Amino acid sequence: MLGKSFAAMVTISFVFALVNGRVASLSGAILDGASKAVDLSVSLLGIMCLWGGIMSLLTYSGIIKQLSRILRPVLRFVFPDAFETGEGEEEIVACVSANALGLGNAATPLAVTAMKKMREASGSDTATDDMVMLAVLGTSSFNIFPSTLVALRRAAGSADPYRIVVPIWIVSAVGCVTAVILCRVMAPLTRRRPK
Amino acid sequence: MTEILSASVLPAILFLTGLIVLFSDRRAFDSFLSGASDGVRSAVGLLPSLCALIVAVEMLFASGFADFAAEALAPAFGALGMPPELLPLLVTRPISGSASTAVYTGLLEKYGPDSMTALIASVIMGSSDTAIYVISVYFSSVGIGRTRHALAASLLTMLVTIALSAFLCKLFFN
Repeated sequence: MLGKSFAAMVTISFVFALVNGRVASLSGAILDGASKAVDLSVSLLGIMCLWGGIMSLLTYSGIIKQLSRILRPVLRFVFPDAFETGEGEEEIVACVSANALGLGNAATPLAVTAMKKMREASGSDTATDDMVMLAVLGTSSFNIFPSTLVALRRAAGSADPYRIVVPIWIVSAVGCVTAVILCRVMAPLTRRRPK
Repeated sequence: MTEILSASVLPAILFLTGLIVLFSDRRAFDSFLSGASDGVRSAVGLLPSLCALIVAVEMLFASGFADFAAEALAPAFGALGMPPELLPLLVTRPISGSASTAVYTGLLEKYGPDSMTALIASVIMGSSDTAIYVISVYFSSVGIGRTRHALAASLLTMLVTIALSAFLCKLFFN
């Protein structure tokens, strides 16, 4: 996916620059881009280090487990089949909690394990309602503190890098609810009729 | 009020971590350190793909393509109350985290981090994810061929969050 995006952008740019007669300015942009990437990584390094440590500590202290306990009653309603059979239940709870804390890297392997268990339970290559729900929720997850964005805004010289946090909470909460409703509404439309 | 709340999240979380380290056993801080070094590793691991993609995004801007695309889609965007400069972000967001981060930092720099464009871009970045990428990873890793309404539902959700981001930012920050 990454390779294709890169290839598309680079080739389109070159052709466009040729047509517009701007090839000369491309070379400056390329050198700029490479050094910007380094600046960006350096400004992210500190916050990612700190955040990784905090999250690992929260996991160690059992706070993530507490969070799972709070989320369980809600998730039972969102994933009815998985909670009825118990297949993938633990992983779903852990995955949603990890997403909520902004632990994207930890959430993905948990989601994949949950998928595996649900897939074994269904025994078919068609996604079940709950599998679709997990994937769609995974793409619209609630995030308690957007640490990367705040770091980037600060690096860009923002007067108030935190300004965006509350709007992000509202929008992502609405996004999650929308995802659940859309999945519920669309599931019967794409269900395969029994023969 | 919301600004104070936003700015207190991080200090409050650090206060909490301080309390945890104070009141739990000695290995608590070790787990902090091991998580922190994972964080360093993933930040360093970002550099190669960020490098490739930021170069590509810079090329898109320098070649005039970004302006061309923004201009072509401006009427449709205007109808949604969306600044047309956001188009490259909306296109890259569902596909790749590094590519959209590259576009996002470009926007911060070009329009200033406190401009309306950058604020809307920030909220979009914070409330959506790489939908197409996530769905392909989740399903392909377990051999699911028919993903049914997964893609449609997540792209529709993203549309809702994008429209709401623009609306809320104008409400909050004007």
